[in-house]
Amino acid sequence: MMAPGPVDVGLQIERTTLSWRRTGLSVAVGSLVAMRLLPELLGGLAWAIPGAVGVVASLWMWWMSRRRHHAFVERAAASGTPRVGGAAPLCAIAVGTTLIGLFGVGLAALVG
Amino acid sequence: MKGRVALHPIETGCRGHSRPYDDVMTSPTDSPGHRFPRAVFARGTEPDARFSLANERTFLAWTRTSLALIAGGVALEALGLDLQPQLRLAASLVLIIVGAVLPLASWVAWAYTERAMREARHLPHPPVGAALAVTLAVAGVLVLLAVLLR
Repeated sequence: MMAPGPVDVGLQIERTTLSWRRTGLSVAVGSLVAMRLLPELLGGLAWAIPGAVGVVASLWMWWMSRRRHHAFVERAAASGTPRVGGAAPLCAIAVGTTLIGLFGVGLAALVG
Repeated sequence: MKGRVALHPIETGCRGHSRPYDDVMTSPTDSPGHRFPRAVFARGTEPDARFSLANERTFLAWTRTSLALIAGGVALEALGLDLQPQLRLAASLVLIIVGAVLPLASWVAWAYTERAMREARHLPHPPVGAALAVTLAVAGVLVLLAVLLR
């Protein structure tokens, strides 16, 4: 068995993947709560749609974290010069969270 | 093999097919500018990947902070707490609006930090932490007043 190399020090990729999953779970929990409460609060089953979109987004984050993990490890094993992937998923998360916030502003104004 | 990074076999995932993740990984022979955003990856040299991963985790932590601010702001208003209504709405909006802006600010902070690492410069100190502290203080004062004036 080969000795762990520099990439393994501190389990960096595992920590990053777990961070992705924590973030995805946060989105999932918030979305499920929204799916449960919004139709009741505002009336109409259509208000479950934003929560459902959030659940799909959290599943996408889970899937993306897995892809990025395997891509990083595979490249490290193949070449010895690991590099992080592009940051388009990070940008998508930033824009998505901002959209959640804008939805929240509308919701607070509507309820308030 | 000299210079080769050795990984535990479990870590390599033992996947039988070749290069299935090319869309999210980059080869050392690829042009650095292929990765998004070009404004970051087209500059400088590749830093230690562990530092880039730490930068990514910091961005994700800010995203979770934003989600918590938004959830707290929405809950404050949606739960119908017995507080002074105008101040409650103001506290709610402060939390949600900052929660909406913070992800974009943390994206910019990620880009500046990654670029600084690629160009071997000192890391920037983005003001997002100070903005969060001010936000929480303002929201806290508003909620306190809403409790006192209900």
